Amino acid sequence: MSSNSALERTIDKVLSQKEAELISKIDSAYQESLNNLEASRGKLEAERTKIIESAKKQAENLKRQIVGSSRLAARNQELLMIENAVNDAFEEARKKLASSGGKDSYRTLLSSIVEDSVSSVGSGEVLVECNKNDAELVRKIIADLQKKNPKVQARLSDQPIDVIGGIRVKSADGTMTYDNTLDSRIERLKPLIRKNIAQMLRGEA
Amino acid sequence: MVAKGRIVWVSGPAVKADGMSTAKMYETVEVGESKLIGEVIRLTGDVAFIQVYESTSGLKPGEPVVGTGQPLSVLLGPGIIGKIYDGIQRPLDEIASKSGAFIGRGVVTTPVDLKKKYKFKPTAKKGDEVGPGSILGTVEETPLLTHSILVPPTHRGGKLTEIASEGDYDIEHVIATTEKGSEKVSLKMYHKWPVRKPRPYAERYDPTVPLVTGQRVIDTYFPIAKGGTGAIPGGFGTGKTVTLHQIAKWADSKVVVYIGCGERGNEMTEVLVEFPHLIDPRSGRPLMERTVLVANTSNMPVAAREASIYTGVTMAEYYRDMGFDVVLVADSTSRWAEALREMSGRLEEMPAEEGYPSYLASRLAEFYERAGRVRALGSPNRAGSVTLVGAVSPSGADFTEPVTTHTIRFIKTFWALDTRLAYSRHYPSINWMQSYSGYLEDVSKWWKENVTGEWYDLRAESYHVLQREDTLKEIVRLLGPEALPDEEKLVLEVARMVKIGILQQNSFDKVDTYCSPQKQVKLVKLMVKFYKEAQKALKAGAPLADIRAMPIIPSLLKAKFEIPEEQLNKLEDLDKQIDEQFRKVVSGEEVKVVA
Amino acid sequence: MPEAAGVEYTKVAEIKGPLMVIDGITKASFDELVEIETAEGERRLGKVLEVGFGKAIVQVFEGTTGLTISGTKAKFLGKTMEMPVSQELLGRVFDGLGRPNDSLPDPIADKFLDVNGEPMNPERREYPTSFIQTGVSVIDGMLTLVRGQKLPIFSGSGMPHNILAAQIARQASVVGTKEDFAVVFAAIGVQYSEAQYFKRSLEESGALRRSVLFLNLADDPAIERIITPRVALTVAEYLAFDLGMHVLAILTDMTNYAEALREISAAREEVPGRKGYPGYLYTDLANNYERAGRIKGKNGSVTQVPILSMPADDITHPIPDLTGYITEGQIVLGRDLFRKGVYPPVNVLMSLSRLMKDGVGEGKTRSDHMEVGNQMYDAYSRAQEVRALAEIVGRAGLTGVDLKYLDAGDMFEQHFLKQAPDENRALDETLGRAWDVLSTLPEGELTKIKEKHVKQYYKGK
Repeated sequence: MSSNSALERTIDKVLSQKEAELISKIDSAYQESLNNLEASRGKLEAERTKIIESAKKQAENLKRQIVGSSRLAARNQELLMIENAVNDAFEEARKKLASSGGKDSYRTLLSSIVEDSVSSVGSGEVLVECNKNDAELVRKIIADLQKKNPKVQARLSDQPIDVIGGIRVKSADGTMTYDNTLDSRIERLKPLIRKNIAQMLRGEA
Repeated sequence: MVAKGRIVWVSGPAVKADGMSTAKMYETVEVGESKLIGEVIRLTGDVAFIQVYESTSGLKPGEPVVGTGQPLSVLLGPGIIGKIYDGIQRPLDEIASKSGAFIGRGVVTTPVDLKKKYKFKPTAKKGDEVGPGSILGTVEETPLLTHSILVPPTHRGGKLTEIASEGDYDIEHVIATTEKGSEKVSLKMYHKWPVRKPRPYAERYDPTVPLVTGQRVIDTYFPIAKGGTGAIPGGFGTGKTVTLHQIAKWADSKVVVYIGCGERGNEMTEVLVEFPHLIDPRSGRPLMERTVLVANTSNMPVAAREASIYTGVTMAEYYRDMGFDVVLVADSTSRWAEALREMSGRLEEMPAEEGYPSYLASRLAEFYERAGRVRALGSPNRAGSVTLVGAVSPSGADFTEPVTTHTIRFIKTFWALDTRLAYSRHYPSINWMQSYSGYLEDVSKWWKENVTGEWYDLRAESYHVLQREDTLKEIVRLLGPEALPDEEKLVLEVARMVKIGILQQNSFDKVDTYCSPQKQVKLVKLMVKFYKEAQKALKAGAPLADIRAMPIIPSLLKAKFEIPEEQLNKLEDLDKQIDEQFRKVVSGEEVKVVA
Repeated sequence: MPEAAGVEYTKVAEIKGPLMVIDGITKASFDELVEIETAEGERRLGKVLEVGFGKAIVQVFEGTTGLTISGTKAKFLGKTMEMPVSQELLGRVFDGLGRPNDSLPDPIADKFLDVNGEPMNPERREYPTSFIQTGVSVIDGMLTLVRGQKLPIFSGSGMPHNILAAQIARQASVVGTKEDFAVVFAAIGVQYSEAQYFKRSLEESGALRRSVLFLNLADDPAIERIITPRVALTVAEYLAFDLGMHVLAILTDMTNYAEALREISAAREEVPGRKGYPGYLYTDLANNYERAGRIKGKNGSVTQVPILSMPADDITHPIPDLTGYITEGQIVLGRDLFRKGVYPPVNVLMSLSRLMKDGVGEGKTRSDHMEVGNQMYDAYSRAQEVRALAEIVGRAGLTGVDLKYLDAGDMFEQHFLKQAPDENRALDETLGRAWDVLSTLPEGELTKIKEKHVKQYYKGK
């Protein structure tokens, strides 16, 4: 009897302990799931705002990118158009220069070009090259130059070169060349004149 | 007859010219069509090697070179103070007004305003015997500086036959004439002096007066004397320039010559912006009224960098000769040495270590030898000094490189900047175990007479704590701090306090930037007192943790910037709090924060 | 006017490395630009390094590969190397010598500028004091960048210096103004993918149209790299001081630049300084780095962020070493943090911004800014010491305060330093995070902060 009741008491105790344990476990589990729910709601919301914000950010970026790129593309198109116009202008100029052969102004220019070029290559014998049309004129200019300064030893080459005007001077040993053709002068001037042409095209000047 | 030659070779700042048989060594020459300024540095036959002080871009063989007959010289007279010059005494403001924000070439300038009138007050009178270096009279150069007009050191002496009466004159005006036998000499308010030649003096004195810089680690631990020499080597980022700026700002000298030699442009600008607004704590006047700047920044022509050091030191000697204490700060001598190396390389000389020329050591010696406290030439009797402080920028922060090792031989105070300290933001990052001062004994008399007799001992006691910490650190590194007995843990704690509360000094804090000798001693005294009291408390059984938690500690550490110079009596309060709090720690009472 | 036509010479005496020696010279000047034409008609550029009667040494930018003693022509152009500049440069891409690389025509020049520039007169400089917000906490909080500063990034191979530089370029703004930065980007011997990453990053943020790109890639001629930073900085100076823009110039990688310099020096058989680099490396680097700053009375500014990779992560190597002596601080990336996955992996203890003190504080940013920055350094430096100690004695051997530092160190890295490459933090957030870190420490430890700021911001107990 007594042993039985002692056993029952123990069982009761264990049972009630278990029960309490279970209840508290259920309680805490319930609490936990509540918390979890709460937390995940918060998380979800945060997640949601994050997604929305990042989408906004992306949209913003995309907008900036598109606006930026299209403006740039438009500008680049303009640059190409101006370049074409500039090239046309130069082509025009080249034609005009090529047909200016007989004019007085060209003669004066040519004689100063010859003088300058011959002195640039320095002392010693030099060879002068020019196109077919200018050959006679250049020969005369060299002769005049030698009259003024007998030290000049210049000779006109018998091989004409294919340029629109001006001359090229070479030292006798061929190690030095001084290119003073109109073609190369235009090339050198081009970067500087382009600005003026572009300004005219844009109506700025 | 002046030499007239032509360029035969150009390579960077080095130019060779032939037809120069009449040129003299170190003669200044005009190079090329644009008359760039150069200096003859070697003569072989009729070929002169010339270092050009301006960019040689575009120079052609065949262009002319014309001698001036004069060695590279500076103009010495009123108007120098407050100016910023390039390496060859051309005022940068005048260059700017002629060539704009970027430095052009071939700009002709005068070092000082020749038209400005100064009020001359004669101090010598007609009939006086005057000699080289004698003072003829004075003018007020700036409100902070009375400039003495000197008879040039090359003058052979004689009787004053005429001297201008008090009045306003420009510096071209003849203010005196002398006569000796048949030789008559007219004197103006200025003369010229070749930069590579030290100015003569009558007698050299021992340096015994400290240069007070207001920097605790310098004045208290590693002092420099007026007329002394010091070097400050350190890797980049260790705060060399900030430390030099601090010396230039707060040193108790009459004149400061600051040479920016191959350094950053913005650093010179900083001085130009800051100094006119900073007030000298002793005179209450802007610091710019006593400062001359020589700026040859790293992107300016390299040859002028070489000259800038000499230009600066010659101006310093000139003010010394008036009887002033002058500090010259050169930042950085390594860049100057590199300029020497570059020219030497272009001349294809035989290199010594790391490509530096073999004469590097002798050039450094010659430079530092121009420091000193001296009796100036002429009458009246007066003493002046030039203190030289040179920054060294060792490559890779390696102190065994040639410029550092050679410099150490010629200086007496060595402030070693430490990259590791800088990384932990311990500024100034002067390493207290590596640095030394050869003037400690010499200046202790001054501290005794002018501040307190305790200085020498307080310094030694606090330094001893740092030394002990240094040895203990090794043990800590191996075993951790808990392996130490409490007494030694206390040493670590106090060393930390000395480092934070004394050695570290914030140049950018209004209060902390300058610390008077009086405040320095008091702060050190508080630390030493804390240490002694803490030792007693430990012996009496107080736990170390309680001592570490004492609220007085943060107060002691912040005293350097929380207590300004005019409230030093607050330091007495801290002293009382130390007593009070230790009484409580020992008796076990809880220590309350005293507001 | 363009000067005289320029004489062409054909007497090549010697070709060695990137150099060409030409004989028979009668008219050439130091630094003069030379146009070289190979026997096949290909054109290259070079400049005169040394000139005497009858002889000139020319450095060929595109290298001497394929040049021959006979048949090579050299034309001396009578001027130094120039870059055409105009507003239209914005949005353009050029090669390492400043020639168009985007199938568009040569820019129509407003003027032509000598790429070597001239030294800025220190007397005319305006001292830099305007805070640039980069949105990167560690930079804004502790290594503040100011307008007109030169602040390099010292990196190592494989580390995310380009991501950081691109982030700075995208996010940089001057607080209180709407002004955007123009970006001048010079790729010096970098890989195609790196240059492309940067370009795309600018494109995506819409910044490309206020950017100018100069690309010398890894497989482009090495000697060209001597010119790349120079043309880039010439354009930067023009945009800043002629057009009044605020310019951010990013030069990457300066190590490749210095190596090109070494190659030339070796070919000239010069006496080398450290590690074979020429003795004038410092001066040469300074001539590039010093082209940053502001000018009195002018609106614009050039802020420079050069990037260099430290060979073997060695900060004492001559290139980072000399750079550090010239620039106004350095941002050092650390391998340890990088391995830990922290971005940006800035080793703050080795990093520094010299001009921070003048760009922050009352009236500029916030009155506690400088003190907080200093205290953060102090705290992190202590934390690192304690970490090292903890490795030996374990956590158990540490005192209470030490443990707090350990935690503060972790929080510093995770909460303050670490951020996303597209995360743009306002200054207040940055300083708030800094106070979060500091507030884990006992109040008494904040020895670098004035009482009043501790009272105002400290969040601990």
